[in-house]
Amino acid sequence: MTPAVSLSQSQSQGSLPLDFGLGGASRGDARHLLLHRAHPAEPGVWDELRLAAAAGGGLRPAWQGFAQHLPPPPGGLDRAADLDRRLGQVARQILHDGVTHNVFSDDGAGVASRPWSLELLPLLIEPADWAAIEAGAIQRAGLLQAMLADLYGPQRLLHEGLLPPALLLRHPGWLRPMRGALPPGDMRLFIMAFDIARGPDGRWWVVAQRTQGPSGLGYVLHNRLVISRQFPDAFRELRVQHIASSYRRLLDTVEQVAAGIAGVATPRIVLLTPGPYSETYFEHAYLARYLGLPLVEGGDLTVRGDRLFLKTVEGLEPVHGVLRRLDDDWCDPLELRPDSALGVPGLLQAARAGTVVMANALGSAFLESPAVQGFLPGIARRLGHGPLLLPSLPTWWCGEAAAWQAVRNELDGKFMRSTFPHAGRTSQVHDLPRSSLLAAIDDDPDSWTAQGKLRFSRAPIWGATGVSQRPAMVRIYAIADTGGRWHVLPGGMTRVAQREDSSVSMQRGGSSLDTWVLTEGAVDTFSMLPQRLQVDDIVARRRPVSSRTGENLFWLGRYTERTEQMVQLARSTLLLIDADSDATPQMLQAVSELAVASGLAPAGVPTLTRSPHHFERAVMAALADAHGSRGAASIAFNLAALSRASQALRERLSSEHWSLIRTMAEAFSSALDVPPGELPTLPQVLPALDRVALHLAAVTGAQTDRMTRDHGWRLLTVGRLLERLLGLSSRLEAFIDADALGSVAGMDLLLELFDSVITFRARYQRHEDLLALTDLLVLDSSNPRSLAGVLRRLRTELSKLPGSAETLAPLMAQLPADGAGLSLESMRGLDDAQLRLQLRELAARLAALAAKLADEVAGRFFTLAEGLDQRV
Amino acid sequence: MRMQQPLSTDPGPGVAGPDADADALADPAAGAALPAELEVVHETRYVYAAPVSLAHHLGHLQPLDDAHQSLLAFGLVIQPQPGQNSHSLDAMGNAQCHFSLAQPHTALTVRATSRVRLLPRFAGLQPQAAPPWEALAASLRYVGQAAPHLEQEFAMPSPYVPRLKDLKTYAAQSFPAGRPVADGALHLMHRIHADFRYESRSTDIDTPLAQAFAQRRGVCQDFAHLMAGGLRMLGLPARYVSGYLLTHTAGGGPALVGADASHAWVQVWCPGTPGVPADGPGAGWLDLDPTNDMVPGTHHVRLAVGRDFGDVTPLRGVIRGGGRHTLHVGVTTRRVSAAGVLVATVS
Repeated sequence: MTPAVSLSQSQSQGSLPLDFGLGGASRGDARHLLLHRAHPAEPGVWDELRLAAAAGGGLRPAWQGFAQHLPPPPGGLDRAADLDRRLGQVARQILHDGVTHNVFSDDGAGVASRPWSLELLPLLIEPADWAAIEAGAIQRAGLLQAMLADLYGPQRLLHEGLLPPALLLRHPGWLRPMRGALPPGDMRLFIMAFDIARGPDGRWWVVAQRTQGPSGLGYVLHNRLVISRQFPDAFRELRVQHIASSYRRLLDTVEQVAAGIAGVATPRIVLLTPGPYSETYFEHAYLARYLGLPLVEGGDLTVRGDRLFLKTVEGLEPVHGVLRRLDDDWCDPLELRPDSALGVPGLLQAARAGTVVMANALGSAFLESPAVQGFLPGIARRLGHGPLLLPSLPTWWCGEAAAWQAVRNELDGKFMRSTFPHAGRTSQVHDLPRSSLLAAIDDDPDSWTAQGKLRFSRAPIWGATGVSQRPAMVRIYAIADTGGRWHVLPGGMTRVAQREDSSVSMQRGGSSLDTWVLTEGAVDTFSMLPQRLQVDDIVARRRPVSSRTGENLFWLGRYTERTEQMVQLARSTLLLIDADSDATPQMLQAVSELAVASGLAPAGVPTLTRSPHHFERAVMAALADAHGSRGAASIAFNLAALSRASQALRERLSSEHWSLIRTMAEAFSSALDVPPGELPTLPQVLPALDRVALHLAAVTGAQTDRMTRDHGWRLLTVGRLLERLLGLSSRLEAFIDADALGSVAGMDLLLELFDSVITFRARYQRHEDLLALTDLLVLDSSNPRSLAGVLRRLRTELSKLPGSAETLAPLMAQLPADGAGLSLESMRGLDDAQLRLQLRELAARLAALAAKLADEVAGRFFTLAEGLDQRV
Repeated sequence: MRMQQPLSTDPGPGVAGPDADADALADPAAGAALPAELEVVHETRYVYAAPVSLAHHLGHLQPLDDAHQSLLAFGLVIQPQPGQNSHSLDAMGNAQCHFSLAQPHTALTVRATSRVRLLPRFAGLQPQAAPPWEALAASLRYVGQAAPHLEQEFAMPSPYVPRLKDLKTYAAQSFPAGRPVADGALHLMHRIHADFRYESRSTDIDTPLAQAFAQRRGVCQDFAHLMAGGLRMLGLPARYVSGYLLTHTAGGGPALVGADASHAWVQVWCPGTPGVPADGPGAGWLDLDPTNDMVPGTHHVRLAVGRDFGDVTPLRGVIRGGGRHTLHVGVTTRRVSAAGVLVATVS
């Protein structure tokens, strides 16, 4: 029989470098600091920092080098304080960059976003260790690729009894619909991850393997960015291998295979995410930005016939490759999990037809079962891959009676794991009491797998008590090239347990380390920034704007403008109430109406003329209410909407832009924070409004100056302009309706609400004249805040939206052909009453037009993103 | 040697009681042991409250074509005309069709018309001569480097047929030590038929098996799932069969239940049992219809076999839009012969 037990692995000890002692570390020297702040790891585990006591207990060579190149502490700080300071910088950098991971509550009901946890000290891997890891990972990656080809093809491994049928046929990750399908380029796996750990003898073992859409590549990149900056000298002098070219390779491989089926040199590749609630959404957005790929959710894609398309504001665009972070079973509700709302109906059909490269292909999840590990040595021999260079943990699949009999009386020192996925996890570790465990295994032995416990090596961590030691596991990544060869990203994600004695899991509050792979050779200084692109590349690389992204950008524009207008209105309103001003009842009436219409005050509140006190309280109460629960949709509510829209756009906005929006909402709500039952005071509110106004100016600045002028930006701008047209014409209408323009104060207030006071003063000094006001606020298209000015820009931007001149004509035709549709000449001889009548009619018409155009833009460019799937 | 039993089909409900053995399955319907030619029209119609903008559908609507069931003609008419339509074999060897519509529609009609010639099967079945059930179950357990029987796939739990301890206890009563597989399976079929009540619409496809078991009633899918689940809990392979049933006998006898849409029954793997095909794609599989307590003959048309309903759903889809929808399924099965056409219609 095949040993399901992989204990036959060679147990030869790695030879340890014994010639490094303390190296003469003296007090005050960095080596001394690392060494003497750290307890040696407990006996029986490998210490990553120090040599064994028998070898002198000094720092390992890599750590000696690291210590030598620690940056000199700034004046007045000792080294320990300097490391503390750096640890703080790391934490701040993570907060600033918004690096998060989502954590699920135990009952699976809730999801909370937590800052990513990154330690200051990297894990150092020496060249000889890395060479062994690399060779083992390359071998294993090739083996898994060959297994998939066999099992989705002739199935020799099954027929010859090398893989128990249950491990394939009972595993939900075995996708029958993909049997016999030939993937483009014969490539099923493009990337895989191995979780490895070092045992007491210094050898590395594979704890788990991930083939569906391994997570961590984005965090690896960001960890490197942050930590290499903290220790630039050590990073350079230790010759730490760079990792950028591995990302390039992944993209290149997918692109080359996709180019083969697309028939064009630059095929369209997308990054498929489950969406913002996924555990690692941050890195999906981060990777998409880094790789320059559109980040898409299932709803952004559609299958027509047997081809995959991206829904864009320009219509359907073919997609030739999918870099996938969505697990297999969620990918197609037609043929896989019917309850999945995250997938793309028909995707399997497209994959079977070979019209799209899935990276990775669907159907590899069964390779992630711990039970498979036990059979890899025999399979490796059969497929000609030789003995495993990087062994798996000792594994016994209980479905083989001999294996179960061998371990049933020796369960101490072993984990019992589920062979098949359990509660959404690849495999669950069980800790049932012994008697019920035995009964459960006897009842259904196929579902159980025993694995030997490994005492993980201890990595040094810098913390409050200096250096401490934590169990560490490293996730490494193998990436394929088009020739079928495998390459290992020289680095990885090291995770450490929260405490010295607990298991390693980010979900359970563990932490991560940058992983430095040292080399004796030259360092590859490749950067993702392309060297030189051809014209065709540049044309093809224009990023498409998905319908969903377009819609979010449109609303980002609308919410930004709407919030700006509200801040201005809130300010004017509150000052009007407060100041013992010369406000006329008409002005108060106009402002009341505008406040209710815009959401600053709830509908039905007594107006300012009736009860200023009530009105003020209502406005104050609504300001910081992000949920709109008081019947108003005020500033905090709009800031929250703005945040949501920007959250969905993370891969497109610069991180400054994104964090500005987030900070703005947080700063506003904390400035207005009051004990329950109390209201913020005016001295509290006015500075908070001023700060939001400043923030908003920075946001619009970023939108105006720092975004590429593509269709996405144009939709954002059209959104902003339509919102402005709506807001300004409503203001004009309200002022005329309330007859509030009869006083100088009323005119001043309207000028203020059009943000045009300074221009007016400069042009007309203090002639408060209705015709002059009309000229500046309505007719003068050189004033960006006049109705004619807004309409002029709308004409320009609308005409550049996707689509031909003919298809855009119905939109354009609704705008006045010129100016605001009213000329100065036509007003000759009108008295003020007639003029007001004309203005009122114009304002009402333009407000209605803005609302109608917003609907039509949505109907034309975003409908592809609409609707819900249902199964029938 | 045991005498061959003229085992056959169409006894009508209630002919065989819970304790009846195979001998009681005498054939009351003349001609069921003779070759028969049947025509089946299977029409599915969806009507949507709102337009559907995109629809993807997957169907298992074309009958199997093998030694005992010749597919003489098959036609699939889809309205409106799908933009894409492809036919292939699934991993179990069933014909499947995949089609999609990208034009807005408010109704969809799929009409499959099949004409098959059925040859009698399982004539001369000797359930007592089958191997003991424990030996068969044991032969499926994994032993390294021995060529496995891949039929064990159907002894594993599947999405619609999870492991249920109660079902194991229930099924075990039909399998005392040493009982031949086919014999025990027939016994189990009789018991399920006697203990469970057939009740239209008492369950839907989302009703968990444990609930159907607990409430002791269900529709033909539940009967098939329950029987398959019981057999699997004992380590015996059992397949789910989706198909059709000729519902009226030649003499205008009582309708057999379970045919208002399409029908479902099971196959149990009992290789080496006399009367069960020894080669071909159906080698070793014995059909049993627990809803009607009978061994299918020439009145059962097999569409597809799988682990459970999910593998061989006749027609399903994922649509965008549509709002509320109504579904109407009508199946008409009629016998076609040289002497004329005997028509039985149920819809």
